[in-house]
Amino acid sequence: MKKQEWKEDDTRKVRSGPEEERDSRSEITRRTFLNRSLIAGAVAGAAVNGLFPFIQTIEVAFGAQAFSFAWISDSHLYPKTLNTRFVDKAVRAVNDVKAMKPAPDFLIYGGDLAQLGDPVELELGAEILKAIPVKKYYIPGEHDWYLDMGNKWMQLFGKPNWTFDHKGVRIIGLDTISRGPDYWSAKNMSPQERMGHMATLDGSVAGPWAGVGKDQLDWVSKTLSDWPKDKPVIVFSHNPLYEYYPPWNFWVRDWRDVQAVLKPYTKVTNIHGHTHQVLYNEIGTMRSIGMLATSWNWPYPPEGVPVLTTPMVRVDPGDHFDGVGWAKLAMTTGDRVNHEYMMWRKDVLAQTQVDSGTGDNTNQILSPRVADRP
Amino acid sequence: MKKNTLLRFAAPVASLGLALFILGATPVMAHKAKHTPEQLKAFEEVFMEQVRIGDLLFHGDAATELKMKTKLSRTGMACAMCHPFAVDNHPHEFPKFQEQINKFSTLREMINWCIEKPNEGEKLEADSDAMKALEAYIYWSNRGSKLDPGRH
Repeated sequence: MKKQEWKEDDTRKVRSGPEEERDSRSEITRRTFLNRSLIAGAVAGAAVNGLFPFIQTIEVAFGAQAFSFAWISDSHLYPKTLNTRFVDKAVRAVNDVKAMKPAPDFLIYGGDLAQLGDPVELELGAEILKAIPVKKYYIPGEHDWYLDMGNKWMQLFGKPNWTFDHKGVRIIGLDTISRGPDYWSAKNMSPQERMGHMATLDGSVAGPWAGVGKDQLDWVSKTLSDWPKDKPVIVFSHNPLYEYYPPWNFWVRDWRDVQAVLKPYTKVTNIHGHTHQVLYNEIGTMRSIGMLATSWNWPYPPEGVPVLTTPMVRVDPGDHFDGVGWAKLAMTTGDRVNHEYMMWRKDVLAQTQVDSGTGDNTNQILSPRVADRP
Repeated sequence: MKKNTLLRFAAPVASLGLALFILGATPVMAHKAKHTPEQLKAFEEVFMEQVRIGDLLFHGDAATELKMKTKLSRTGMACAMCHPFAVDNHPHEFPKFQEQINKFSTLREMINWCIEKPNEGEKLEADSDAMKALEAYIYWSNRGSKLDPGRH
């Protein structure tokens, strides 16, 4: 079992927007995630000397073609009559994206627009997102899908996987949610019961539902077959594409196959939702960046947090705008994707372990839900 | 032991027995004989049934809420949506000063804060069946934790 290791050096201090105090030592933002491998050597000295490397998170050049984009996901909308909080937060994220200057080239909506796959929820989400004037791309989350097996979602948003090239980057949207093993037929579940089990993160009935599937992996291979191995690729998915915490499906079950297909390509970045928290990992040359939800944040699981992750702060459960948000992303001159967490608070990354909430209870004995037992 | 001392102990016991007889309750004498495996199994079953009920309440099961006459949330949110596997509940750290409540608090007070504030539900009586079931589920889910009262 790999425990989160806390390193004081992982904490980067800085500013994040006009409302925040400028840190005279640095141009890095508080919301910018800088992984240890990126600047490990530099920071060891820089932290002592008060000198940080200049890193800008938006509008950096990619050759002659600079571009930025935005990500929103995990809004988990209920019908407005039940819950207006989640609506308010989704609308706030949409308004923030609309206010980006210059406008992003496109928006990715990363899944779980609805909470229980209700057509009312999905239509509400589509209506809210309509206000964003730039091109929008959608991938599904499990909460969008398992009431009617994606019918309404596909009617509104089209195919669940897709690809396009943008300014020298091959971009792929993956469907990691629709290939769940059938846990409902033998038990004669209603669509609502099927959705209910899928919507329970710590439930055990739906099992290891997250996966890419051989058919889709063949499609990824074919999609990349004419792409140079050293040119950048961005893969969007709802779930992480590595084994983080399977009991909550913080993975895809066929992650080894996914890694094998992507391994020859040396500049792959995966941007994913589902985990509702600050998250970063690297496997080989592939980087994985976890995005925030607009709805609520998940706690870090009891084990498996990648050591390359600098945890987010423990947030205030009394403030429903805390611990959530969206993200600005951009390519760097080094063909890397930089990201800036747009969390609606000043400090995003924890400065000390007591503020992170990770590693609080290493002795907890974990078990599947008692209520799921036959 | 002197006779009057014995009487001093016997009198309240007899009074209690009489009171229970009048009230129709059956007094249960504990630890008068070695526990049988059947007894231990029965105790475990009583506990795990409360854990199961607590699990259902914690996950927002509508039928259980109706049966227990509770309204733990009006937002669609359930406890488990922020606390999967009941993590981040830290029952082993109570009692402690709790920032949100701004006072020295018990786990039950913190449960009620979550019900009333984030979930906009109706708080439970501190010794109600639903509260005890939630407590059973939270403790069971955090078994193995070292007692660390007061830790933040």
